[in-house]
Amino acid sequence: MLKILLPTIMLIPTTWLSPAKQLWTTTLAYSLVIALASLAWFNSPTETGWSCMNSYMATDPLSTPLLALTCWLLPLMILASQNHTSSEPTGRQRMYITLLTSLQIFLILAFSATEVIMFYIMFEATLIPTLIIITRWGNQTERLNAGTYFLFYTLAGSLPLLVALLLLQNSTGTLSLLTLQYTPAMELSSYADKFWWAGCLLAFLVKMPLYGAHLWLAKAHVEAPIAGSMILAAVLLKLGGYGMMRMMTMLEPLTKELSYPFIIFALWGVIMTGSICLRQTDLKSLIAYSSVSHMGLVAAGILIQTPWGFTGALILMIAHGLTSSALFCLANTNYERTHSRTMILARGLQMALPLMTAWWFIASLANLALPPLPNLMGELMIITSLFNWSWWTLALTGAGTLITAGYSLYMFLMTQRGPIPAHMMALHPTHSREHLLIILHLLPLILLILKPELVWGWSA
Amino acid sequence: MSAWRRLRVKLRSVPGFLVSIRPTQRHTSPYGRLTLCRSLSTGSHLRNEFFKDLEAQLAAFRKKAADALPGSSWSPLQINPNLPPERADIVIVGGGVVGWSIAYWLKQKEMVRGGVRVVVVEKDPTYSQASTVLSAGGIRQQFSLLENIHLSLASADFMRNINEHLGVLNEDPVDLQFNQSGYLFLANEEVAHIMEENYSTQRYAGAKVSLLSPTQLKQKFPWVNTDGVVLASYGLENEGWFDPWTLLNAFRRKAISMGVIQCYGEVTDFKCTTNVLRTSSGDTVDLKRIGSVKVQMPNSLEYQPVECAIVVNAAGAFSGKLTEMLGIGSGPKDSIAGIPLPVEPRKRYVYVVHCPDGPGLDTPFLIDYSGVYFRREGLGGNYIAGVSPEEAEEPDTSNLEVDHQFFEERVWPGLAHRVPAFEKLKVTSAWAGFYDYNTFDQNGIIGIHPLINNMYLATGFSGHGLQHSPAVGRAVAELILDGNFKTIDLSNFSFRRILTQEPMLEKNIV
Repeated sequence: MLKILLPTIMLIPTTWLSPAKQLWTTTLAYSLVIALASLAWFNSPTETGWSCMNSYMATDPLSTPLLALTCWLLPLMILASQNHTSSEPTGRQRMYITLLTSLQIFLILAFSATEVIMFYIMFEATLIPTLIIITRWGNQTERLNAGTYFLFYTLAGSLPLLVALLLLQNSTGTLSLLTLQYTPAMELSSYADKFWWAGCLLAFLVKMPLYGAHLWLAKAHVEAPIAGSMILAAVLLKLGGYGMMRMMTMLEPLTKELSYPFIIFALWGVIMTGSICLRQTDLKSLIAYSSVSHMGLVAAGILIQTPWGFTGALILMIAHGLTSSALFCLANTNYERTHSRTMILARGLQMALPLMTAWWFIASLANLALPPLPNLMGELMIITSLFNWSWWTLALTGAGTLITAGYSLYMFLMTQRGPIPAHMMALHPTHSREHLLIILHLLPLILLILKPELVWGWSA
Repeated sequence: MSAWRRLRVKLRSVPGFLVSIRPTQRHTSPYGRLTLCRSLSTGSHLRNEFFKDLEAQLAAFRKKAADALPGSSWSPLQINPNLPPERADIVIVGGGVVGWSIAYWLKQKEMVRGGVRVVVVEKDPTYSQASTVLSAGGIRQQFSLLENIHLSLASADFMRNINEHLGVLNEDPVDLQFNQSGYLFLANEEVAHIMEENYSTQRYAGAKVSLLSPTQLKQKFPWVNTDGVVLASYGLENEGWFDPWTLLNAFRRKAISMGVIQCYGEVTDFKCTTNVLRTSSGDTVDLKRIGSVKVQMPNSLEYQPVECAIVVNAAGAFSGKLTEMLGIGSGPKDSIAGIPLPVEPRKRYVYVVHCPDGPGLDTPFLIDYSGVYFRREGLGGNYIAGVSPEEAEEPDTSNLEVDHQFFEERVWPGLAHRVPAFEKLKVTSAWAGFYDYNTFDQNGIIGIHPLINNMYLATGFSGHGLQHSPAVGRAVAELILDGNFKTIDLSNFSFRRILTQEPMLEKNIV
């Protein structure tokens, strides 16, 4: 564990002390090494599930995929940010990389935390670098609004969580995840206990986001620079899912009844945000709403509390992280060339950049959950476990799948096919850096087809 | 107080609103019989007035409350509300009728609401030098180029159904005062054959034009002196004149209601990224892509860079100056970059004359073969007249001062010769306006510039920009959003003809 965490911490002095010409290559190579080293976490089957332990941090089959995803994303973010920060003074570039690295540190600590309070503190701590990235490096005036929404939605959701955790500490005497799994189920009968249940979950539901509390995501994703969008879509949303999965064990038996409205919200959100995607004019906004749609399925899968549900949720989280991040990178390549995110102005790009179309095609297919990609595995497992719970959910999830396919194809056809307008002439050909970036997103996704056990979670 | 009283009376007079009153019942108002009368306005619906009045009342109330309450309107963030947004998709430089037409059609053609963000930048809110409002306002189909005829036909159709296109809910309808009195071109022996060719082209395109012999001409318009006239071409439909200011405001009002952002400021600079390519013979070509437009606020040092994806040059007479900022025209002489945009301002005078014994109310827009033209203005015996000066005697374009000597020497003799009644007239007023004159072939330039990847040109119409503006706006919107022309093919008007030096000349122009 420390062999990943300490190098990540030392990446900060590296960014400040590297010569300006070698800044990006150095940090990229360094973070790639860390990412490759983090793959070693997968290689630890133990009886209890927990491995790589010290007193405060450990990994288990649930957190390992998410940790690997987090570590994998840092070099990708650095690769993606290289172009748009190139016009800024070196000090600001170093600051940018430092923020990304500090976000990485907090995320590693969050996913590997064994104490729930540490998880909570890291959960909150990730807000600060993200807020700075959005409000300082975002592109438009609306980014201030976006930052406010992002900060306050999450904070408002997580204050009840703090109170709930303190109550839990009071009643059980410990908040260590290692032992909380083995404590007997608590006596949760009074009305106040229902509020406690809601308090435990609200922060994560807002973070996921659940459909009713999703407004911050649309704004934050659109206004953030590319690295901000990537880390938000790929990992920060999964913090919510991870937290929910951890808390689920101690929330019995109330979840049986209380989760009902949230499952319905989540499934309804899948359809509503999918339909919103069909009417979007802004490309990043479309991808942001599609994130809400997928995470709605994840939320439903977790709240169902079956092994298949959990597995499906975890697979979908990893697969969606890679796919969504890839789509944001593709949208960014568009934006860097035309300085506009409006879909109607950037059409017919297959004529100009055919290889990029191939990446768009694979990413869109991944988004609409094409077999045998892990996106489908995750969705299918969630849908079947929901169907097992209630036959009626099939109507919602089926319609959701249909609409997902609809808007993914709409996005692909709108940006790539059709007549190419006259102002799309003489675009910069795709840089190798951009090809590398997308390949590094899509290759793990395709390799996961071959060994999905890595991301199955406890059902190994 | 009386305004409130009037409002209450209106409320009462709408049957069944506050009190159920049958319209035939007599009722006395507590404010006396004086206030019982209905307002004498005709035209708009009563309900429409009620809402407008209500809004005015509420605004006045809010203002009064704000004045009465303590505190000031100071805020620590002193943001200038007139600045354009920091980012837009399409920036249209030039708020004349062509610019606003393009803005309207872009919003009309976006498939979802808020599809494109359009900003129209106009440097002069008073429109004191804009060609649109200083135009004589004529529209005709009597051109020799098919594209021009189609543009005029489409624009006339647009203007005849203008309220379908530009009507805004709860606002007054648009009244263009489109006098369809037709154009009357007179030809002498030398140019009669051109007129006949043009006539067949116009009929082929669908324009309703008729040819008149001198006798027929004299029969139809007895006030004309047919001396030297061999043939006359008279437009029967969709030709005439209209009020350009109303058209501009109609486009503007509708576009703003659809979400176009209006900004008053001057474009002073562009920020571009340059792509240097090499031709097969080793020369370099710089392809520019505009990244942002610097808009300077009027009478101020404040500016705002507007990041944009597309810039539309609809700056009219000043388009040439705009492209100069991008370095067009300042390259080596034998390269594409050395060819400037051939649009420059040319001053044209318009004189308003009063002649009580002049031609009647069915006077068409008469254009003589000598270049002198006149049309009726209003119903009080006023006429507008002018002539295009020769190349050699082009007036100075640094100001819009009128040369009255020009009328005496060049306009009046031609007018008096053609219409004997005009021997006795009085010049009541005059003004001057700029043509966005295309020095190459006097026809519009529509399309993308070869060297600037995202600048669309819609300029150089040389005196017929106003009459073509609705159709040109639609064409440019099709170019931007659909990738190609859909309704009228204007590919012959692209910048290419200037590069290949193949002029698209009109035969017989004013």
